Amino acid sequence: MAELAGVFAASHGPMIVRNWDVLAPADRETIASAFGELGRRMRAAKPDALIVISPDHWVNFFIDNLPSICVGVGDTHDGPPEPWFKAFPHRTLPGHPQLAEHVLRTAAARDFEPSVSYRLALDHGFCIPLYKAGIEPVPPIVPVIFNDIEPPFPSVKRCYAWGAMLAEAVATFPGKLRVAILATGGLSHSIGEPDMGRIDEPFDRDCIRRLESGDPPALFDFLNERLPGAGNGASEVRNWVAAHGAAGGRGFELIRYAPIPKVYVGCGFASWNLG
Amino acid sequence: MRDYWLSKLFFDLQTPAVADAYRAGRAKLLDRYPLKPEVRAAVEADDVAALAPLVNPYLLRFYFLMAGMPEDEFLRRIRAIKATADERP
Repeated sequence: MAELAGVFAASHGPMIVRNWDVLAPADRETIASAFGELGRRMRAAKPDALIVISPDHWVNFFIDNLPSICVGVGDTHDGPPEPWFKAFPHRTLPGHPQLAEHVLRTAAARDFEPSVSYRLALDHGFCIPLYKAGIEPVPPIVPVIFNDIEPPFPSVKRCYAWGAMLAEAVATFPGKLRVAILATGGLSHSIGEPDMGRIDEPFDRDCIRRLESGDPPALFDFLNERLPGAGNGASEVRNWVAAHGAAGGRGFELIRYAPIPKVYVGCGFASWNLG
Repeated sequence: MRDYWLSKLFFDLQTPAVADAYRAGRAKLLDRYPLKPEVRAAVEADDVAALAPLVNPYLLRFYFLMAGMPEDEFLRRIRAIKATADERP
């Protein structure tokens, strides 16, 4: 059987790459050291495959057809199409069809109805954390896209259940495989809204405390009340909630939190202690 | 509710060939999209405040970046919406 080798989360704000050269040295050091520690922990987990949970920033989907949750089952995925992210060294990334199909079977058995894609473009949401954490070579990826971008969003309770289901899928996968889960995005940020650039630091710190508390219902209540006021980008905290669900709601360890106005994001980095 | 054709325009402009066509002649490209007259006028006027309620905020931000509006100017205009709203009695 496969093994859940690690659960991780990291912010993915585009300015981390787009504006890297003009960020203040202290901000660069903060971000680099956080990603460095994330990368160290991810490499230590020795994953053979990654399940990466991220939103789609209008790359694969449009309002013609906008899935709430989509699982990528292809053997190959395209790299990030953003013209400012040409430094990313991969134009394609390997998928893991067998694990992805097992995720879909497990999802169906547990009354989830994800959308399915045989070829996804993995935008900066997927690739910035991999790039800045130095995950090289990139293991085969099962991309899981959560709609964190355009309402209506999946509920935080549902996202937690998704994470628990992903952990079950890993545990029941018939093969010797070490699988890590990486959730990307968040914490608070506002993009293209009238309060663009606002970072809701109190929200972020309260959110971290509730992740640390190991009390999922309290986390859900908190997020149901506060997420709508923390900026549209804070919606990506749903991905962190899924990671929390995968870890059974326990073991959250903050690597670093740093509100960085120049990247518009309350930057968060974390792993879960599965021991 | 989103304005479908405005959203479609902004979404399509992520494709380099469409962006090139936009830069070569905005009016000609806009003719391909059945925008409502007031929406087209707002696009032609770079009216951030008028367009913001009609489209996803990420697409709005992308569009004005693509169109060449400096970030500081976009921030000034988008934040002015909030300032105006806050001033209302």
